[in-house]
Amino acid sequence: MLNRVYLVSRQQIPVWLRIATFCLGIVTGLIGCTLILMIFGVPFREIVNEYVVFIFLDKSGFILTLTAFVPLALVGLAAAAAIKLNFWNIGIEGQMWMGTIAATWVATYDVGPENLRLLIMFFAAALAGSLWIGISAGLKLRYGVNEIITTLLLTYVAFLLVQNLLFGVWRDPSSGFPASPMYTPEIERLALVGWGRLHSGIWIAIAAGVIWWWIMSISRFGYLIDAVGANPLAAKAAGLPVIATVVVAAILSGGLAGVAGLVIVAGQEYRLTINIAEGFTFSAIVIAFVARFNPIGVLFAALMIAGIYTAGETLKVFYRLPNATVVLLESVILLSLLIVEFFSRYNIGIRKAEATP
Amino acid sequence: MDSHGVALELTKVSKQFDGRPALSDASLKVNWGEVHALLGENGAGKSTLMNVACGLYSPDQGTMAVSGVPVSISKPADAINHGIGMVHQHFKLVDRFSVSENILLACSETLGVSSVNDVAKVITEKSEHMGLEIDPYAVVGEISIAERQRVEILKMLLTGARILILDEPTAVLTDLESENVLTLIRRMAATDCAVILITHKLREVLQYSDRVTVMRTGRTILSQAQTSEMTREKLAKAMVGESAEQITSQSREMGADRYVIWDIKVRSPSGGVGVDGVSLHVRAGEIYGIAGVGGNGQPQLADALMGLMPIEEGHVFIDGKEISHLGVKALRDRGLRFIPSDRFGSGLIPDFKAYENYGITRILNNVYGSWIRVNRKRMKEDVNATIETYQILGCAAATKSRLLSGGNAQKLLLARELDSELSVLIAHSPTRGLDIYACNTVHGLIVKAANRGAACILISDDLEEILTLSNSVSVMSRGKISEKRPTRETTREKIGELMLGHA
Repeated sequence: MLNRVYLVSRQQIPVWLRIATFCLGIVTGLIGCTLILMIFGVPFREIVNEYVVFIFLDKSGFILTLTAFVPLALVGLAAAAAIKLNFWNIGIEGQMWMGTIAATWVATYDVGPENLRLLIMFFAAALAGSLWIGISAGLKLRYGVNEIITTLLLTYVAFLLVQNLLFGVWRDPSSGFPASPMYTPEIERLALVGWGRLHSGIWIAIAAGVIWWWIMSISRFGYLIDAVGANPLAAKAAGLPVIATVVVAAILSGGLAGVAGLVIVAGQEYRLTINIAEGFTFSAIVIAFVARFNPIGVLFAALMIAGIYTAGETLKVFYRLPNATVVLLESVILLSLLIVEFFSRYNIGIRKAEATP
Repeated sequence: MDSHGVALELTKVSKQFDGRPALSDASLKVNWGEVHALLGENGAGKSTLMNVACGLYSPDQGTMAVSGVPVSISKPADAINHGIGMVHQHFKLVDRFSVSENILLACSETLGVSSVNDVAKVITEKSEHMGLEIDPYAVVGEISIAERQRVEILKMLLTGARILILDEPTAVLTDLESENVLTLIRRMAATDCAVILITHKLREVLQYSDRVTVMRTGRTILSQAQTSEMTREKLAKAMVGESAEQITSQSREMGADRYVIWDIKVRSPSGGVGVDGVSLHVRAGEIYGIAGVGGNGQPQLADALMGLMPIEEGHVFIDGKEISHLGVKALRDRGLRFIPSDRFGSGLIPDFKAYENYGITRILNNVYGSWIRVNRKRMKEDVNATIETYQILGCAAATKSRLLSGGNAQKLLLARELDSELSVLIAHSPTRGLDIYACNTVHGLIVKAANRGAACILISDDLEEILTLSNSVSVMSRGKISEKRPTRETTREKIGELMLGHA
C-alpha cells in the first residue's frame, strides 16, 4: 500500500503556496501548543486568555511582551546573520555573556565621561561579543575546527567567567547574592520610553532589524552573503571574497548577541546576574528559522516567541508548569513549520494500482 | 529458449518528468543472441527508456514483454526476476567494501550463499569462465574504473540476468579498455544473452553491434536496423536530424606567447594524482587542447589555473607578468576567464536568478552599483540583452538558474565569462552532458574568444572535441603533460597511445 505513494520534488514553489504552508505551519503549531497545555491541566479558556488577550491586548501584558521582544529580536538577527552563511553560531549565549561582562565592567569601573558612558557600554558589549565569536571564526578558518563545537564550548567558558566574577570580585557587598552592584541610574541605564518598564532598547532592536534588512536586500554585502551562503565554491570562482564575507558576518552576529546582553543588563536588570542569558541560543535559532532568515521576519517571529515567553512565565506561576514548558512550546511551533514546509517542497502522488497480468 | 526469438520488447512507452516529455511512444525490440545498440545524443531518452526496462522508472504509458510474454515491472526486483540486469553509467557499488562484499550485498539470495569466502569462490569461478580479471578481495574504492565496471558486469551476470543493459560503458574508459569491454559484450551475446549497448559513439555501433535502434528527443527514429546495412552517415543523420553545422577551428592569426606556465606543481587534496611539474605556453589566439583520461590531474590543473587551489611550486605568467600568487579576483581583473567543468558546482549558483549569476563576477568592480546599493536594474537590462544575443531559451532575467537546461545554463555561463574583455580562457570539459546543438554553440563561442586574441586552454576528456577545436595538443597523464604538438601533425591513434602511456 505505502509503496504506491511517491514524492516528486517541485521545481519551483509558487509564492501563494509558500505563504499558505507557512500559515498552516503556525496554525498547527499553535494547536499543538494548546493541546500540550491542556494536557498539563490548563483550561482552554485560560489558554486563550493568557495567549491572546494578556500578551497582545492587555497593556501590562503587552509591555512585558515587548520587553522580552528586545533581546529576542537581537539574538534572532544574530542567528540569522551567521547561519545564512552556514556558520552555525551555537554560542549566542556565550557572546551575550561576554557582552554583559564588558558592559558591567564599563559601568563598575566608571570608564569614560558620564554623558558617553552608555555609548561606551554599547560598543564594549558589541566588541566583546564579536571577539568571542572571532575566536571560533579564527579557529575554523585557520585550522578547520568545527564552529559548532567551539561556539558551544566557549559558551561554558563565558558562563564560568561570569560565575567567577559574581561569586568573587563583582559580588554586591550590600546584598551578598551573586550579582554585581546596581548600575548608576540615568547614566548607566537605558532610558524608559514612558510606557511601563519598556526601555529604549526597543529602538535598538527595531533599528538593528531595519539596518540588517538594508544590508541583506539593498547593499552589496547582502549580495555577497547570498552568494557565499548559496554556493561558496561558485562565489570563490567568481572572485568574491568568501573568507572575508564569512568573518564579517560572524563578527556582526557575535556583536548583535553582545548587544542583546547589553539591553538586558542596562535595560531590565540594571546589573549583572547569574541567569540573564539562559536559553537564548535555542530561541534565537527558532526565531531565525521561523523567519526564514528574513530580517523583518525576524522582528515578527521574535514578537511571537516573546509572547510565548510572557504567557509561559504567568502560566508557570499559576499552574506550576515546569521551566521547560516555554522551550517545549517553541519547539512544537518550529517542528510543525518544518514538517508542513516539506509539503510545499514536494508533490505527493499515488500510483494507480497495477493490474496483474 | 529460442535463440533467435524476441528477448525484450518495449512498445510505445511514454514518460513525463514534471510535465516535460522524456519519452514519447518509444519502442525497442531486442532478440536473443544479439548485441543491440541503442544510439542517440545526450538527452535523447536512451537511459530513460532503459531505466523503465529495469524497473527504476514506471512509465506513464506503454507495455513490455520478455520472451514474448507481457510483464509488469514496477520495481528493480521485478526486473531481476525477469532476468533483466543493467550496468549504470554511475556505478552502484559501495566503495569501502571489497568486491566480494559488494557481490554478496547484491546477490546473496540468487546465489544462496552468505559468507564472503563462498562468494569469493563463485566470483573466481565465474570470472575465469568469462575471462574477466577480478580480485575478489580488492576494496572497490582502490581499484580502477575499468575494474569496477567488470565487477558491475559480474554482479549483473550473477543475479541471473540474461538481458544485459550497459549504459555508455566506454564513456569513462581508455581506448584499450573500451575495446576489452566491447569484446566482452560480444562474448556475452554469443552465450545466448541479449545485450543492449547504450551509446552515442558511431564507431562502437558499427564495429560491435548486430542491430541498432536510434532515438532522438524521446522518440524512436530508426528501429531494429541491421548494422551491416548502415553507414556512418546514415546513422549520424538519424541521430542528429537535419545536419547540424560543424564547427571547425579555422586557421587564424596567432600572436606572441600570452600565457606561460613554468613547471607548476599542485597537490591533490584527496591524496590522488595532482599536477607534477607542468609547463606550457599558449599564444594569443591559440586554442591549446589538453587531452587525457579523467583523473590524471586535470581537475587540479584547472582549479589551480583558476585560482581555486594553491600552486605549490612553479610560475604562471600572463603577457610576461607573474600571476601565480594571485587570487581569483586579481586573475579576473587581468582578463582571465573560466569555464569550470561543474557548471552548477563552481560555475553558476543554482538558486540565484539569471541576472544575479550574470552580474556576480563584476559586482566588486562597481559595474553594478556600490557597496551602499546594488544596481539590480542594470544587471537585469544587461542579462536581457545577453539572453537575446546568445539565444538562451526558457530564460528570463529572474529565472532561477537551476531551472535552465544544461545547454542554456552553459550559454549563460559562457555569456558571463566572454562578454567582457578577456586575455586568457581556461575551459574544463565545457560541453560535458550537452546535446549536439549546445555543443556546437559552446564550441563556436570558444573559437570566437580565440579569434578575439585570447589564449585558450581546453582541458577535456572528449578527444573529438580537442581534435576539432585546438591548434595544438598535449596529453595529460599522471600529473604530467606530453610535448606540445600541432593538431594537424598528429592523429587520433597517436594521442590514444599517449593517453594509455601509463596503463
